[in-house]
Formats: sequence, structure tokens, C-alpha cells
Amino acid sequence: MREILLVAKREMRQVIATKGFWIMLAAVPIALAISGFASNQLAPERTTAYSVVDESGRYAPLLETQMQASFRQATLRELSEYAEKWELQHVDPEAPWANRQAWLNPAEIQRFAEAGGAEAAVALLEPELDEDTPPFEIEDPYYTEVALPDGVAIPAVGEEVGERLRSVLEDDITVDDRRLPYGAILHIPANFGQPGAQARIFTNGRSNASLIRNMREILSASVRQDAFAAQGIAPDTAIALQTMQAPVSVIEPPPGEGRSLVATRSLVPIALVYLLLITAVTTGSMMLQGVVEERSNKLFESVLACIKPDTLMQGKLLGLGAIGLIIVLTWAGTGLVAALYFEGFAAEVLRPSLEALDDPLLILAMIIYFLGGYVVLAMVFLAVGAISESMQDAQSYLTPVIFLIMIPVVIVMQAALKGPDEPVALILSWIPLYTPFAMLARLGSGVATWEIIGTIVLLIAFIWLELKLLGNIFRASLLNDGKPTWKRIFSWMGSKDSAG
Amino acid sequence: MPATAMAFDGVTKQFGDFTAVDNLNFAIPEGCIFGFLGGNGAGKTTSLRMALDILSPTSGRIEVMGKEPSRENAAEIGFLPEERGLYKKMSVLDTIIYFAQLKQMEAAPAKSAAMALLERLELADWAKSPIEKLSKGMAQKVQVATALVNSPKLLMLDEPFSGLDPVNQAMLEDLIAESARNGATVIFSTHVMQHAERLCDRLLMLARGKKAFDGTQDEARAALPSRLALTAKADPSALPGVERTHAGESHDGWTRYEVELQQGIEPDALLEHCTANGVPLRSFDVQVPSLHETFIHFVGADEEIER
Ligand SMILES: Nc1ncnc2c1ncn2[C@@H]1O[C@H](COP(=O)(O)OP(=O)(O)O)[C@@H](O)[C@H]1O
Ligand SMILES: [Mg+2]
Repeated sequence: MREILLVAKREMRQVIATKGFWIMLAAVPIALAISGFASNQLAPERTTAYSVVDESGRYAPLLETQMQASFRQATLRELSEYAEKWELQHVDPEAPWANRQAWLNPAEIQRFAEAGGAEAAVALLEPELDEDTPPFEIEDPYYTEVALPDGVAIPAVGEEVGERLRSVLEDDITVDDRRLPYGAILHIPANFGQPGAQARIFTNGRSNASLIRNMREILSASVRQDAFAAQGIAPDTAIALQTMQAPVSVIEPPPGEGRSLVATRSLVPIALVYLLLITAVTTGSMMLQGVVEERSNKLFESVLACIKPDTLMQGKLLGLGAIGLIIVLTWAGTGLVAALYFEGFAAEVLRPSLEALDDPLLILAMIIYFLGGYVVLAMVFLAVGAISESMQDAQSYLTPVIFLIMIPVVIVMQAALKGPDEPVALILSWIPLYTPFAMLARLGSGVATWEIIGTIVLLIAFIWLELKLLGNIFRASLLNDGKPTWKRIFSWMGSKDSAG
Repeated sequence: MPATAMAFDGVTKQFGDFTAVDNLNFAIPEGCIFGFLGGNGAGKTTSLRMALDILSPTSGRIEVMGKEPSRENAAEIGFLPEERGLYKKMSVLDTIIYFAQLKQMEAAPAKSAAMALLERLELADWAKSPIEKLSKGMAQKVQVATALVNSPKLLMLDEPFSGLDPVNQAMLEDLIAESARNGATVIFSTHVMQHAERLCDRLLMLARGKKAFDGTQDEARAALPSRLALTAKADPSALPGVERTHAGESHDGWTRYEVELQQGIEPDALLEHCTANGVPLRSFDVQVPSLHETFIHFVGADEEIER
């Protein structure tokens, strides 16, 4: 043990002396500082302002109502998730927000609005909250309509955009003493709805894509409705057709019933996937360099005269594992501080993520997957180092290894975000090299408890096996001066010493 | 009879089908300077590695200071590998302390021992410099220091003189002799005969993994027929004990002869015979065979060795 610690300490000192380590360490804090700073300075409000110049006079009010409706729908959705999470549905079981599916139903949204919207619901819930339950925060509306600023001229079709229009869009706009980003100006010609007539949205780069999509959808719906009318379909029927939903109901068994699921709405597991990938690959490369240096410098024999190859390997794993842990803890620590003590983008994303981590099994599983994944990958890098004669040699082995790690990880991330039961994600969950990535990614949408336990057992068994194999490769390859072939590498895996 | 520092008993090491060390038997008494002599590929490095438990023998038994080879002995062993290398970014002092600690020393005594050695090796001013700033010769000396730092009872040096300039070679010879005077057993391998000739009490000559000779330098020489050169009036071929002669240049009736005696006959015996029987001699020079000659006698002339 003493020797393992000595080796670990030496490895750590070597890495800490490199610039790369400090750059890595500082990366996340700097990114957080920039994002916090940026959002503090540039985007204090979420609400985006827009203007409508409606020469037809028909669409502006419609747009306003629809915008409000979609905001109300989002609010209802968030409120019902909040009510479910904090078990507040019992306060009014009949209320729209007591039903997680209500936001999908226009009639329920309507009922929600008529009952006084979020404000009324919050007032109702307020007395029922115990001290651990945070109050529901009503968000500002996503979009607000403002009058077209003075002096802005809408250019005719095909004409250049005027200077004033451009500068207005680039600037923020003051509404009731608040500075709001100015997202878009929608121009609707008088003859809109007739063939050839075109509505135009003037915008700048930073404007919200979803604002434009909203505008488009609302206008399209309205145009469709007119088309129905022109075909002789009564306005009421047309509206009914529009709002008619395909009879698909979304069924989601509540957690804790039927199958037992561990799921979190937190972004933390997904963030861990990236952290794992980045730290494992970077510290893994440092590890690899260290081993190759020792190998090409013929250092091993002096060291191996004093300690066993297994001790050397374990010391390296421990030392570089500690480096990885220092990096991750620094990142996580600054993230936590940013989330808890500062406002801004970072806090807005991180805080709800941390609050969603409420299940001890979930937290434990995340830690095990992260550390397990780190060790599994670190050993792969160590093995590559042990069989490489030179850095070029290592590069040629490393490229396929990195692809072997990265490609399935990217695939599994895509798949897991689609749903927890995507076959690729399911299969990769049971391949130990990918288990940590697949399982962390799937935690967002729910994984059965038995699957967590099963994959962890398999992961640990695999780590044990990997330690043995790597120990053999280390022992056999370090003193062998010949170039390793795949055949020899496989024979090393099973060998007792360097007879290979 | 002094205790045994190291003993090989029927040791064989095979790499696949290839036998690198073949049924090797020898014992090294404590406190002596012992040389492993052999050409390239003779099995010197492999033997040392087995004694260090870096490799394990295919068959046979090895004893190191009365114990099985294992890392537990590391505290009492100093080892200089054939292929040298150190951590480039580490300072000279840290490097020596690191190896001292790997050999079970505590940090504080390790540091004072390291500083003392650096003084001795004239490297004290470089203690804080990273290894990469050192010349090759200096780095070699640092590596010697990593082997010596724990004042080992058993010093194992694999080709210690290779890569050193003559000044540093002499310094290393002094260090080896000094360690032995202080009671350490020194084992070193070499393919350069003159170092062994100057230093070794005992020798092991290896020929392709097999033992060719094991004993003292005198014993090795005694195995060769004695040679001498004398200046006489008549050919000494007929004298008792003379195997063969070779006439050299003549001058005023005196001829110089190279004489090889029969196996086991000492030059003294011939000289005594000549004086007793009135054989006139003008000169009588005994030629002691060099270690190189004994090596060729035991191992053959094909090996890649140096005088
Ligand atoms: N790890 C190994 N695998 C295969 N053959 C080896 C290995 N190590 C040494 N050998 C072979 O064993 C023989 C003895 O090598 P070595 O002990 O290094 O000789 P020396 O040190 O006397 O030059 C050489 O022919 C060498 O090629
Ligand atoms: Mg050798």
C-alpha cells in the first residue's frame, strides 16, 4: 500500500506540473463565469418583445391570444409537474394542474385560465406547503407585444431594410421600465390570405427561433381556417377541425406503481456523461503519455526492481484517478457555488437540476457509474500505453480506441434521450465499457431498479477482470523489447510473467 | 566459510522455445566483488532479473541473501539496470529520494543519504535541476546514486560502465571497491574484461546461457597453460615440462624463444631446472595470461566482448 501511494503521489506531482492540468481545471469555472456574466449583462429577462404591423387588422389580436394560450399551456404543464413532484395534487384533485396530462387538452387549458391561471393556483397551494416545499415560481410570459417604435418604416417587398429598422432590432427595448430583448417585427399585408400575399418577419440573429415558429403556426392555422371557410365549411366546423386532436392519449404510469423506475428530470446525469468522457479521455491521455515515457526511457526496470508491476499499475490508476477526481470536484464545486449563490444562466439551469436529485439510490448509482466508468476507461488508456513503444505508436493504437469509445457513446446519447427503452441504449447498458454512459444517459427518462443493480454488478466484475488482464499486460510488456503483435498481447493477457 | 549472498541452483529460463539461461549453478560469497562475464545475449541480464524477481525462472532455485527472490529484499538491494532512464521532469534530488522511498526508506534519511551521494558524485550543485537539464554522463551518475542511496548490502549492476567516459568509469570503479570495503557484496555484469580484471574477486563466465567458468581470477588463469619468454643459446623444447616453443630473433648466438609449458607446470619449475642444470639464460619473463585470454579459452573467440 505504501508503494502504491508513493507511485500515486509521483504521478500526481508530474501531472500537476503540466500546463494542461491547470487549463482543464480552470475550464469549467471560466465557462461558468462567462456564461453567468453574459446572461447577467445581456439577458436579464426572458420575455422577448415583438411588434406586429397588421394592415389587414385581422391577425394581430389572434396572435396575441394564441401567444397567451401557448404560454398558459406551458405554465400548466410546469405547474402540474410541480404539483406531482411535491405531492400537492390532493389540494384540489379536480383542478387541471392536478392532472399531468391536462396541458395536452385545450379544454383543460381553457378551464385553467378561467379558474384564474397560475396566480389562482399558487394562492390555493400556498397555505398547504410545508417548509421543505419551495413555492411555485410563476414565470414571466415568454413574449410580449409592443408597439412599433417611432420612425420605423416597413420596407416594401424587395426593398432594402432601413437603417432605423435594423438598429431597433439590434437594440433592447424599454417596456414599463424593463429592458427587453426585441425579437421580431411581423408585417402582415392587407391582402394576406390571398394567393401571393406574404407575411414577413423581420428579425435579428439573436431572436428566438420558437417565437418565429409560434408566429408561423398561428398564421398558418388562421389561413387554413379561411381556406376551410372558402370551401363552404362553417367557421365552427372549421375550428372544430383545427382543434381536433388525433385520438391518441398519452399514458404514463405514475412512478412507484407497476414497474419500479428510477428517473430524474435533472440534467446532472447527462452532464456527467460529458464530464466522464472529457475527464477520462484527457487524464487517460496524460496517463498514456506517462507510461510511454517510462517505457521509451527504459525506466521500468529500475522501478520494477523495487515494486511489483501490479503495484506500479495500481499506483498509476490511483494517482491519475485522484487527478480526475480533483478536476471533477473542482468543476462540480464551482457549478454548485454558481447554482446556489449566483444568478444567471448557470444558476437557472443548474438549480432545478440539483433539486431534482432527490433519490439516494439515484445519487449512489450516478457516483458508481461515474467512478466505474472512469476506472474502466483509464485502464484502457494504461493498456495502450503499456503496449506502445513510442508516442507515435500510442497514437496509432489510440485513434481506434477513441473511436471505439466515442461512437457508441454518441449513439447511446441520442438513443437514450429519445426514450429509456431504445434497443441500442438497452444493449449498450450491458456492455461494461459503455454501461456508465448508457445508464447515466437513460436515468433521465427512467430505468428499472434491477437494471441499475445488475449493470453495476457487471461493471464491478468487469473492472476486476480488467485489473487482472491489465496487470498481465503490464507485467509481460514492460520488459519485453520486441514489438507487440495482437497475438502476443493476447498471450500476455493470460501470462504469469514475461514469457511471451 | 562466509555466508552466501546469492546462489543459483539448476536455474533455467526459457522464453518460448528459446533457452536464455541453461541449468546455471553458482554461489556468491558475501562481501566479494563478483563479475558476470559474457558476450551479448549470454544471459547476464536475464540472470540478474531473475535474482530481482522481475522474471521468474522456468526451473531451478535462486536464493538471495538466504531468501527467495522477492520485492521484500528491495530494501537491501541496489540495482543499476543495463538500460538507463529517469523521469525527465523530476529533479535530481527528488528522483533519488523517490527510489530510496520505493526501497522502504523514510523521507528524511533518504534526503540526507541522497545529498551525501550527490556530494560524492560531484553533482550537489545540480540537486534541484530537472533530469532533462543534465548531460548524459551526469544522468548516469544520478542513476548510480539511485542504486546506492539505500546503502545496499547487495549491489547488482548490469553493464555499469557502458556509456560512461573514462573519468566517470574510474569514479565508478572506486565506488564499487568502496562499497565492497564497507561490507557490501557487489555483482556486476560486463562484456569488458579490463573492468572485471581490475575489480573482481570471483567470476562467472557465461556462454549462451551456460556456465563456462566459475571461480577466482587465479583459478581461471591456472586453467591456461603457462607462457613465458626466455633468451637462451639452445632451443628449450627438450627441457622437462615444455609443450612447445617458437624461436624469435637471434643476436650474438642468443635466441629469444616463446615457450608454452605443459598443463599444470609452473614457470618457477622450469627456472629452477635451468639454474640447477646450468642451462645458460639471459632473460626469463613469465607472461601472465590476461582475463581476455582466459575468457577466450573458456568461452571461445566468437563472443562479442572487449578486452
Ligand atoms: N523477454 C524476452 N523474451 C524473449 N527473449 C528474451 C527476452 N529477454 C531476453 N531474451 C533473450 O535471451 C537471451 C539472453 O539475453 P540477456 O540476458 O539480455 O543477455 P545479456 O544481458 O547477457 O546480453 C538473448 O538472446 C535475448 O534475446
Ligand atoms: Mg544484458
